[in-house]
Amino acid sequence: MFKRRVFKRNEFYLFIVLLLFSAVLTGINPSFFTFENLFDLIKSSAGMALLALGVFIVLLSGGIDVSFTAIAIAGQYVSVNVLIATGIDNIYFALLISCLLGISLGAINALLISIFELPTLITTLGTLNLFHGALLTFIGTKAINVGGLPDSFKVFGAKNVFNLVKADGTTYGLSIYALILLGIVVLTWIILRFTMLGRGIYAIGGNREAARRAGFNIVGIQIFIYCYVGFLAGIMGVMHVSLIRYSNPLYIVGDELGVIAAVVLGGARITGGSGSIIGTLLGVAMIIVLEKNLILMGLSSYWHQFFIGMIIIIGVSITYYQSKLRAKRSLMYLR
Amino acid sequence: MEGNFLEVRNISKAYVGVQALDNVDMGIGYGEIHCLVGENGSGKSTLIKIIAGVEVPDEGKIIIEGKEYRHLHAIDSIRAGIQVIYQDLSLFPNLTVAENISLNQMVERNIKILKWPEVKKVAEKALAEIEEKLPLDELVENITMAEKQLTAICRALTQNARLIIMDEPTSALTREEIDHLFSVILKLKKKGISILFVSHKLSEVFEISEKVTVLRDGKKVGEYPTDELDNDKLIYLMTGKKIRMQKFVYEESGDVDKNVILDVRNLTKEGQFRNVSFKLRRGEILGITGLLGSGRTELALSIFGLNKPDSGEIYFMGKKVKIRSAQEAVKLGISYLPEDRLIQGLFLKQAIKNNIIVTILKELKGRAGLLRKQKIDSTVKKWMEDLSIKAPSGEIPAQTLSGGNQQKVVLAKWLATDPKVFILDSPTVGIDIASKSNIHSIIRELANRKIGIIIISDEIPEVLTNCNRILIMVNGEVKKIIDNVEGVTEEEIFKVVSSQVKSEVV
Repeated sequence: MFKRRVFKRNEFYLFIVLLLFSAVLTGINPSFFTFENLFDLIKSSAGMALLALGVFIVLLSGGIDVSFTAIAIAGQYVSVNVLIATGIDNIYFALLISCLLGISLGAINALLISIFELPTLITTLGTLNLFHGALLTFIGTKAINVGGLPDSFKVFGAKNVFNLVKADGTTYGLSIYALILLGIVVLTWIILRFTMLGRGIYAIGGNREAARRAGFNIVGIQIFIYCYVGFLAGIMGVMHVSLIRYSNPLYIVGDELGVIAAVVLGGARITGGSGSIIGTLLGVAMIIVLEKNLILMGLSSYWHQFFIGMIIIIGVSITYYQSKLRAKRSLMYLR
Repeated sequence: MEGNFLEVRNISKAYVGVQALDNVDMGIGYGEIHCLVGENGSGKSTLIKIIAGVEVPDEGKIIIEGKEYRHLHAIDSIRAGIQVIYQDLSLFPNLTVAENISLNQMVERNIKILKWPEVKKVAEKALAEIEEKLPLDELVENITMAEKQLTAICRALTQNARLIIMDEPTSALTREEIDHLFSVILKLKKKGISILFVSHKLSEVFEISEKVTVLRDGKKVGEYPTDELDNDKLIYLMTGKKIRMQKFVYEESGDVDKNVILDVRNLTKEGQFRNVSFKLRRGEILGITGLLGSGRTELALSIFGLNKPDSGEIYFMGKKVKIRSAQEAVKLGISYLPEDRLIQGLFLKQAIKNNIIVTILKELKGRAGLLRKQKIDSTVKKWMEDLSIKAPSGEIPAQTLSGGNQQKVVLAKWLATDPKVFILDSPTVGIDIASKSNIHSIIRELANRKIGIIIISDEIPEVLTNCNRILIMVNGEVKKIIDNVEGVTEEEIFKVVSSQVKSEVV
């Protein structure tokens, strides 16, 4: 029984493919399969994973959000600027500002979507430009480089949970980012699995009308979803600047599709109602490993964009093909 | 009127310009199985919505267990023990059976944190109440229609249902599944739970109910004990007309063999049907009946090119043909009216006009390859008049029509191709009685025009009155061909049909 379940799961195959990919990478460059590299990958992809978890929840509810990158960069750039302006050089303060801004912008999405019942794709495409445009117009376009960046970001970016010593005496460690990601994964899992709110997200993604009849507060659930995406984007914004030590208000925006591709690759149905957290994380890992593969093979980064597009088209095709098959079966064998 | 669980008195409700309900009374006793019947638009669904507290009546009152409600809210109705199982069942396909059963009750109790063992326990308890079994850990999208129905019933039980309203619960079930559902309903009755059963199928009304309330045009015609009614009387009450169809008579003329238009020989598809042979003549109406899983629809799909047979031959007008796709079938002159007109037969959001011409776009093309508006309009007008499709114009979307008129649009669409053989799969499912007889006369008219017609139906009266020959399929084989329906009774056919082995479905 257990065995059958494991083999039936989408995630199992994704995991196998991921292992194959990594094996190829290790073949090309043996240093790929080391703890040092693994830790490094986790650190550089944790931010993307946070965004992916947000997108996953939105997809689960039967919606889509493309504005989260604008929210992330807004949170980042505003918090950096506030820290510089006020002189309060504290990472918690930065996180607070970034998350509060993220939640507020998410709430704007939520209001438009739940109260005015606008289509989610068009709404968030609009707010993507609205948020980003407002950021560039009212806050500024000047990039802040490592010299101007408050120290607390740099400390945060370099902080490790523990360190290991290599044979040559140099040290490497697991970034605090891994802990943050783990925390958010557990939080998201608990919400989805053990709260009525979380089951409500599944319910409205599965059958919205039935959810309404059952008495779920659909407006409330949607407000939570889009605010939660904003919250995650806020954290990601701060993690991002701390990692690259450079805050450019033109960054992050443009990466939406890569994140969505990861979630779709992870098995979330674009039509809503199904998918898993593990799948989403594996999807992110796949996208990251794919990117590394391309670099190691010496292909230009444009190929990455090409593959992201492919993954989205193929992923969506599979979902629709499956529902078409189901329809065909019901034609042949009735129900 | 003492001792009723539910009383509605003098209920009236008007929507913009339409009097949906006019001074309607109804009483449902404890543990009573009550049927609500009426044609489309007679006000049945409005009445259900008012009892569920979803709609507020303009006048009248609702009394539940002696407590009078002037303004019944949905939540009051649920708390009082009234549960509606809508036709679509309102289930969540992406959640497990257990969760579907328990979730609504937990929402109602305003629970914030879910305890999974409790989810399962609640589901198991509900199942135990009606002594049924369901795969609790399976996703609802993977279970059968009958299991979904049970899931919805269990869900109602978890909310302490005292009255369960079932809106057309049998429309997607097989005969066996319906029998099973009825046995569950009887168990519910034993527990003192009242049932309000809304159905189109009169035979089921007689089978299950104790009392019948008939609505017509928003008015109550009356409330009758079921055993005081018979089929004809009930039809009269519902429609206000006497509808009595003469049996269809086929007159063979000229050279008998030349009249054969479709000749199917030993058609076999593994796991679906075996060695099916029959002949269809011009102007005759052949009925194919059998249970779900008897292979009736699969056979029809094979003739229409949508289900490739493994072996056997099809002769069309004396010539051996291989039909590999629906396009080829249409080209030959075979049309197929699918069982589910909503999914397979109509573009619901498109205008009636576009639905009718979709099969003959090629013929409507002008020289530049563009469609000619004039010709489209005249074609659409002709068919709407011919089949008396009731609609203000051909421009309105098909979804706004009643079931009967929708079916006529599908008929028109196929008739426009000028078919020689027309296969109709369950042509009157879910259509009210008046439209039903209307569609039957259209079918007979087509037979008079020398089209060879096959009606697939599990309603034995339908094939018996409208067909001159009947082919009965059991477990994928032709069990019996009745060449002359004269003097054959429904019971005789039913006996053959129900000899199908229970467990298998090919």
